[in-house]
Amino acid sequence: MAQFFKTKTAIILILIICFFLVLNLIGLSKPVKSFFYSLSLPIQKTLWQAGDGVSDFFDSIAHSKYLGEKNKELLSNNQELLSENALLKELKKENEILRQALNLDLQKEFQLILAEIISKDISQDFILISKGSNDGILNDMAVITAEKALCGRIYEVYDNFSKVVLISNPEISFDAKVPKESEDEIYGVIEGKGSLNLYFNLIPQDKEIKQEDIVVTTSLGGIFPKGLLIGKIKEIKKSDVRPFQEAEVQPFFSLKNTEILFIINEY
Amino acid sequence: MIRKLAIIILFFYVLALLQTSFLVNFGINGMIPNLILISVILINIFEKPEKKYGIFSAFIGGFFLDIFSERFIGFEILILTAIACFIKLILKKYVRVQITKRV
Repeated sequence: MAQFFKTKTAIILILIICFFLVLNLIGLSKPVKSFFYSLSLPIQKTLWQAGDGVSDFFDSIAHSKYLGEKNKELLSNNQELLSENALLKELKKENEILRQALNLDLQKEFQLILAEIISKDISQDFILISKGSNDGILNDMAVITAEKALCGRIYEVYDNFSKVVLISNPEISFDAKVPKESEDEIYGVIEGKGSLNLYFNLIPQDKEIKQEDIVVTTSLGGIFPKGLLIGKIKEIKKSDVRPFQEAEVQPFFSLKNTEILFIINEY
Repeated sequence: MIRKLAIIILFFYVLALLQTSFLVNFGINGMIPNLILISVILINIFEKPEKKYGIFSAFIGGFFLDIFSERFIGFEILILTAIACFIKLILKKYVRVQITKRV
């Protein structure tokens, strides 16, 4: 009798494994996932917003000690930015006049598709957004935040949903640079290290990078448009033994406070 | 029996939604607790070894984890079912003293 049950269990297990193999091989898993995403969309949206609100509340309590200092710092930053902004407006005006004079139409805007974050994968470096192939989303399109900070690229497209692989995913690497005004720009490669961590690798030893330097995308890799913000240099790891420098990057995108993302349709 | 199975399905669906949409906002260094795994382990530990709800829970929990992850369907199901079977086997063969009253 016991032998019969053991054989029965083994057969059931083999059948289940075969069933999943067939399900994935013939591509049936995609409609199944799509069905559950459509079913869960309203609940997930509500839960995401609730979680975001609650975490913001706790964050503000945890950081209330530093709020005064932070406020002063932000106010002074704001003043600086306002004066810089006024200067830039002047320059923009001048630039526009020059362009018109030269009869050039170089100003290309991105064509963006707006999408909401529905959920985040438990492996932490994938997110699900509320737009899919029905909205014109294709694989490998770049995904950015409202501040033009690079978030990731489209990994898998469903009818009404898409999976975005974040730039912090260990499988992602692409060209980036630290733009410099006075000297040569520093080129390197951004590599994801998982759990929202990024590294800027392959920086030549003779180049000098500093903390707080901003890293942006280049058009070299052909995956992302140039000039998108990636992050700030957090920690530099320099060793004479290694042929290149390496730096830890603090990404600009933060999923904690982001609900809306933009997919770059054309650039 | 059907009522219990329905409750398990609903319970794990809610857990999966919480895990992927609510708890992600509270991650520490990008890590969040895997509620489904914890529940499956607890159910299997506190359930009578001859009952099969623990295995069913592992199957359903794994299914929902697979649905809301980028992996292929079946990955988490097999892992969680294997964990559930392993716990049942250990409890059945090697645990003689009943520390807690199993339900």
